[in-house]
Amino acid sequence: MFTLSAVLFSVLGSKQAYLDPGSGSFLLQLLLAGLLGAGLILRSQWNKIKRFFNRKQSIEAPKDEDSDEV
Amino acid sequence: MKSSSHLGASFRDPSGFLFIRDGILYRQVNRVYAENYARLIDSGLYEKLVKARLLIPHIEAEEEPADPSQAFQILMPERVPFISYPYEWSFGQLKDAALATLSIQKRALKVGLSLKDSSAYNIQFWHGKPVLIDTLSFEIYREGEPWVAYRQFCQHFLAPLALMTFCDVRLGQLLRVHIDGIPLDLASKLLPGRTRWNLGLASHIHLHARAQARYAEAAVSEVRRGRAMSKQSLLGLIENLEATVRGLTWKPTGTEWAEYYNNTNYSEAAFAHKEELVAEWLAELQPKVVWDLGANTGIFSRQAASLGAYTLAFDIDPAAVERNYQQVRKDKQQNLLPLVLDLTNPSPGIGWANRERDLLTERGLADVVLALALIHHLAIANNVPFDHLADYLSGLGKWLIVEFVPKSDSQVKRLLKSRADIFTEYDRATFEQAFSKRYIIQKSSQARTSERWLYLMEKR
Repeated sequence: MFTLSAVLFSVLGSKQAYLDPGSGSFLLQLLLAGLLGAGLILRSQWNKIKRFFNRKQSIEAPKDEDSDEV
Repeated sequence: MKSSSHLGASFRDPSGFLFIRDGILYRQVNRVYAENYARLIDSGLYEKLVKARLLIPHIEAEEEPADPSQAFQILMPERVPFISYPYEWSFGQLKDAALATLSIQKRALKVGLSLKDSSAYNIQFWHGKPVLIDTLSFEIYREGEPWVAYRQFCQHFLAPLALMTFCDVRLGQLLRVHIDGIPLDLASKLLPGRTRWNLGLASHIHLHARAQARYAEAAVSEVRRGRAMSKQSLLGLIENLEATVRGLTWKPTGTEWAEYYNNTNYSEAAFAHKEELVAEWLAELQPKVVWDLGANTGIFSRQAASLGAYTLAFDIDPAAVERNYQQVRKDKQQNLLPLVLDLTNPSPGIGWANRERDLLTERGLADVVLALALIHHLAIANNVPFDHLADYLSGLGKWLIVEFVPKSDSQVKRLLKSRADIFTEYDRATFEQAFSKRYIIQKSSQARTSERWLYLMEKR
């Protein structure tokens, strides 16, 4: 199953990516990747810590991303 | 085979295209895109986005394809009342469109899909909010892949927003010259040095521009060298872009017209009478579509909108348009769209064959055109003769509500203060004569306690 979808993805991928992503843009994302991923983990850990301390005062519902207003 | 015409902007993406048949808009989904389309529907993302008014709804139509050799499915999308372009949006509109794009991308990633493009032209204003109109923008997300539309997002949204924030709001107009967004090297060159201390702009604009220059000739596989970008990192990138966009702000102060109503010498009684006349005439005409030219912050546009007309409020001043848009968002107004437009140089047809982005008048017409406190600006400040004005305005819609401001008015005096008065024929009689060639003057009335006149005219 995995092989099948891998083949499918590689076929679809090449056909669907009609936009030139730009080599420099790709590389920059890969360079930022570690930093941004780590940032996200740090932020979620920090939120967990904040929630842990906040819980003592009030129980706050976590923000639901689906409900965010644009 | 039934006749149909392809839309001029719909040719880049092999996933499908738009066509019009018998006046109805259809989208053909090609077979190469079938898997992605199925995932969009089956994952529930389509329904979620439509419910959040972030994606245009469609129905699957039993219609003959325009290109049967490639067709998988024909969709009938709901039509947006008026197609507008990023160079006609105010700062807040472009910012909201950017945030909508990122919000869609986050929701897509949650269900294993990703945006394969992030063109600002795929966003339109619908029910007062930005919505994605390209149903075929999604592709199945492949673990390890960076965001293919990252560059496009930075060029279409981040660069103009940063330039509008840190340099001058009028630089949004660069989007009219650069159809695929502002080149990042240009943005990097124009932005002040202090933006290098903004982590988001330092990475996504300045560093990005340098990376592009350095690896311009390199193949993607060459720079990748097998490296992958985890989903966590990709989400981190999207959230960082979101925070960067949210951090960009612009306050509409100090430009030409935003303070106009505060400075004008129109007396309260005269203004009230003008409002009364316009309201009365609009109520009689019951228009479906109103174009308010020189709308300022939209006082008269709101009159039209409150009668149920879909109203476009055009103004040259980005500050007035921004104020108008913020009011629209605050009131959750659904049928009023403020847009930036310089009437002395209206949006042309641009892009491939000049057909990718249509010129203003090809995107719709009005039932009623409002031209209030406008004619003197065009006739005197821009030297447009009355008959040229009547020609152009009569091409925009059947009815015209127009105001004539005489030379004795302080606003006209102000326009003439710094220049020689070459306008010997600028008077009410000449105005009426010129407009009578194109229109039948149905009603006219002097605004109480003022020298200004209002006319209701019907196109001949």
